[in-house]
Order: sequence, then structure tokens, then C-alpha cells
Amino acid sequence: MSASTFSATVEARRTLGGGYFVLSLCADAPTPIAEATPGQFVMVRGAWGRDLLNPRAFSVLAFDDARRFSILAKVFGRGTARLAEAEPGDPMSVTGPLGRGFPAPREGRVQLLVAGGVGLPPLHLQARQAAAAGRPAAVEMLYGGRSRADLVLVDDLEGWGTPLALATEDGSVGARGRVTALLEERLAIARARGEAVEILACGPTPMLAAVRRIGLDAGVATFLCLEEQMACGFGVCLGCAVPVHGPRPYRYCCTDGPVFPAEEVRWP
Amino acid sequence: MSAPPPAHAPLAPEAVDLRTRFAGLELQTPLLAASGCFAYGQQFAAFTDLRRLGGLVTKGISPAPRYGNPVPRICETAAGMLNSIGLENVGVDAFLADKLPFLRDLGVSVWVNFFGTDFPTYVECAERLSAGAGAGIDVLEMNISCPNIKHGGIEFGTVPEVAHRLTKACVEASSIPIVVKLSPNAGDIVGMAQAVKEAGAAGVSLINTITGMAIDVRRRRPRIATTYGGLSGPAIKPIALRMVHQVARALPDLPICGIGGVMSGEDALEFLMAGATTVQVGTALFAEPGAIVRITEELRALMGELGIADVVAAVGVLEAIPPEVPYVPA
Repeated sequence: MSASTFSATVEARRTLGGGYFVLSLCADAPTPIAEATPGQFVMVRGAWGRDLLNPRAFSVLAFDDARRFSILAKVFGRGTARLAEAEPGDPMSVTGPLGRGFPAPREGRVQLLVAGGVGLPPLHLQARQAAAAGRPAAVEMLYGGRSRADLVLVDDLEGWGTPLALATEDGSVGARGRVTALLEERLAIARARGEAVEILACGPTPMLAAVRRIGLDAGVATFLCLEEQMACGFGVCLGCAVPVHGPRPYRYCCTDGPVFPAEEVRWP
Repeated sequence: MSAPPPAHAPLAPEAVDLRTRFAGLELQTPLLAASGCFAYGQQFAAFTDLRRLGGLVTKGISPAPRYGNPVPRICETAAGMLNSIGLENVGVDAFLADKLPFLRDLGVSVWVNFFGTDFPTYVECAERLSAGAGAGIDVLEMNISCPNIKHGGIEFGTVPEVAHRLTKACVEASSIPIVVKLSPNAGDIVGMAQAVKEAGAAGVSLINTITGMAIDVRRRRPRIATTYGGLSGPAIKPIALRMVHQVARALPDLPICGIGGVMSGEDALEFLMAGATTVQVGTALFAEPGAIVRITEELRALMGELGIADVVAAVGVLEAIPPEVPYVPA
């Protein structure tokens, strides 16, 4: 494990609307953050005293170098509400990068990135890296949310030339409906063309459950980036158990995941 | 108004001696990592210098491996958290073969927490750990207080006669000293401590988590799958201090390892002054894997500031608040 625990300072907080914000952090000294793969995460905690004890887990959204990186968050509970008020100069303690990320794109196989709302960061980083490698079309982003406000950082994807399809449940932007409908349409096209694809997904658990079912039914390799309550992020608290098929009933979101092959996850 | 404490000249932190003894063992500091918050230690090696700990207590070990409870297993609460992990562990054989050698090589005091699911498996666990460990384990910490186990587990931790019988049988089966980790859910904490002391326990650790609950009102569901879980963190510190103090007052010869929401050097000193000889740090390790090293330095600095040269001299030095001048009606 190349993770470390370090102090960092907030450099900027960019509010995106709808409760979403990007927090840019700068570590006080060089860290292994630039070795992060898409899906790996950091545990972040502000100077929260004894009220909020545990750090919060966030996928790495982007990194510039061994010190500068960013996360995307949405105000959900007390921890994210505190982070949404962070100001430049505020100290944060960070541990990471942790966990195991998504597989890299392979020659001759398109990765369909299925993102729901705040599940965007690991797939955004996957698209960024594909573009940086000169192969933006090695991935295709299928991005869905409730409404226009839930589709953030779309400009980045457009700028990189990432093939992009959007869906909102209220139809305010892109196709009306769920992102899983976009996935089913895209898989039908792939089947008709005899095209090799795989699915990488991150988003709310009901969305991931639907993606898992679609991927398994279609016989397409599917990888899910899961989220579970975790106190530590490095395999000690054992809070983030994921029910799996196999010799043991559980694996751990933090150290075995957060990315799991869909067939391994023991969901209905 | 009470008189100020006697003034001591401040000392440089380097002049403070943190070495201590617990039930005949020598420790380089009074601070240990608590069971369940430290796994088997390897994960921490990337983040902190484990050789600077006073000691460590492993995840609870049972004779056979256990896989733990359904999810969700944890949730955060005000100044604390609930857990119901379900005593997941690798079992005695895998612990001795795969986990213990790493811990033994750290050169700090190694305490192995253990439990069974009934009377015979408790004794079997103590016997097999003792027989299999050689000189590698300093203390067996007997968990009679985990709220996350069925099969009469509650009685072991709450009925003094039952705790006495169980402790006596394990002490007889083990060549390693046994420290009993007591439950705050016991009605009479002093009675429990007395019972295990008379059964041959070398000391007591207190307290384990307090049984609690949290509810998600929007989904009308408990926040953890087993409904009830163990509350830990700063929220329980006042209760832990009170229990340490009660047991220390009643049983001054019984070594006590204090546990409950320690986040700072000052918290640790509170436990020492209440009567604990050693102190465990638990929940703080999740947010800050290097917490014990920081707390050690804070304790050293605070003792220096207060002019306490020796950590042994800090144990149980709590002074009573002097009585008021009697009220005489005008």
C-alpha cells in the first residue's frame, strides 16, 4: 500500500450548485496522491474537534502533482455540510490514496462509464486519463441525475472530447429518464455492431444494482465502485463490509474495493 | 472556593518518565491501542511508528474464525460512533501463525483480546493461545462484555458469580496473565471487578462500549443492521472515568487499564488520575492512525507543565473537593 496520512490545506472551494462543490487541496509535503488510479479514494477530515469524529471518504477527482488534488462532494450530512463551508487556508487531515480502482482501458474494448450524480469523480478521472493518453474515445460517458443541477463538470468532458450521453429524470437536460436506459440502448448498439465493451459504474446504490443486473444479463464485464459507511478507510474498523459470493460472506469496501466485479457482489 | 493544587515547578518534557508497570509487566508508556480499533496492527505500519506504543490489544480472537454481522455495521453519532461488527476475526490458529509474529517483533507489550461463544470455548481459547504463543503474548485480555454476541454473552459480563467462574477457569487454563475487560452494562461495576479479581485476574480493562441505538427516521429503520450496537468515542468518556474511579477506590491493589474516548494527552491524564495505570486509545485511531504517538507527546508535555515527573506518580492522585463551610442562617 502506497497510502500515507498527511496534512493539507484548502486552496479553493468551487460551488457548482445543487449542493455540489469541488474542494481543491494542497498537501503540506509531497504525497503518493499522484499515484492514485480512478476509483481510489481519500479520507478527509477538517478540524472538527470531538463532534464529528470520523473522516469522510471521497474518490479522487483529479490531481496535478504530488501535492495538489481535488474531490467532488455534495452536501448530504453533517460532514459534507462542514466541508461545504471550508475556506481557503483551512487545514484538513487526509489519508490516501486508498483502495483499488477501476481497470485501465484495454485496446479493442470500449469502456462504458455509467455515472450517477455524485458518483462522477472516478469516472471523470478515467475519462481524463483516457484523453490525456490521446484516446478520449476509449471510454464513453453515460451520465445521469435527477435534474440539470445533478450533472456537473460536463464542460470538462466536452473539452476532452469524451463521447457523452446525458439523462435526467425530469428531462431538464439530455434524455428524459434514467441513465440505465442509456446503458441498455448503448449495449444494444454494441451487440448489433459486434463491438467489445465493458461497464464501469459509480453512483447511488439503486443505480448500481440496476447496472449490475443489466451487465450480468448482457454478459458484459461490469465493475461497480461501491460506497459503504467507513470509519477508517484502511481495513481496521471492518465497518464497510460488502456482501459477496465466494469462500467468505464479506469483503471490505476500503481494502478489497471500492471497485468490485459485478458478479462478485451478493445483491438481489 | 477550593484551594489551588500544590504548585510544582514545570519540567522539560524530556524529563518526564512515561515508563510504567502493569500487573508486573514493564511498558515504555502507559498508552495502548484498544481492541477492535487496531486489527492485527499491520495496517498501521504504513502510517505510524508502532514501536513507540506502550502496547497494543488485538482484535478479539475466538477458537474458530468468524465472519461478522450484516451491514450496515457502523454509524456516527454525537461525539461518538456505534458499531456492531460481530467479532469478526481470523481464529486462534491463523492468529498465531500469521498475525502474532509481526506483533511480537515490534518490541512493545502485546495483549491479545479473546472470547468464546460459551463457557467451554472461552476456556479452550485461553488454553490454545497460551499453549501456542510461547513468550509472544504478555496479556490475555478476556472480553466478557461485547454487546454484539448472543448465546448468554450478556451474563458473562453482568453477573458477578458467572464472571468469577469463567475467569477462574480461564486463569487455570492459561500460563499468561489474564486481564478482564468489563462491561459498562453491568449493574455493579465494583462487584464485577471484585469477582474477577478473586478469580485470579491480573487486572481489569474498563470500559467496553455501551449498548446504544440510532434511528433513520426517514426510512423508519435502525441505522445499524443488528438494531443495537456499541457506543464508543468521547461521548462515553465521563462514564468510563466514573467507573475507573469507583473500581480504583474500592480495589486499590487491582491494576486498571482505562478505556473510553481518549483523544488527547489530557484525556489520558484524567484516566491516570482517576486510578488507571494504563490507558487504551480506540476510536481515535480510525480518524488518525498516528493518534497514539501524538497523545504520548501531549501527555509528556502536559505532565511536564504540571511538574509531574513520573507517570506512576500520576496514578490515582485525584484530590477530593474540600467541603463547603457549613451554612449558618443569618
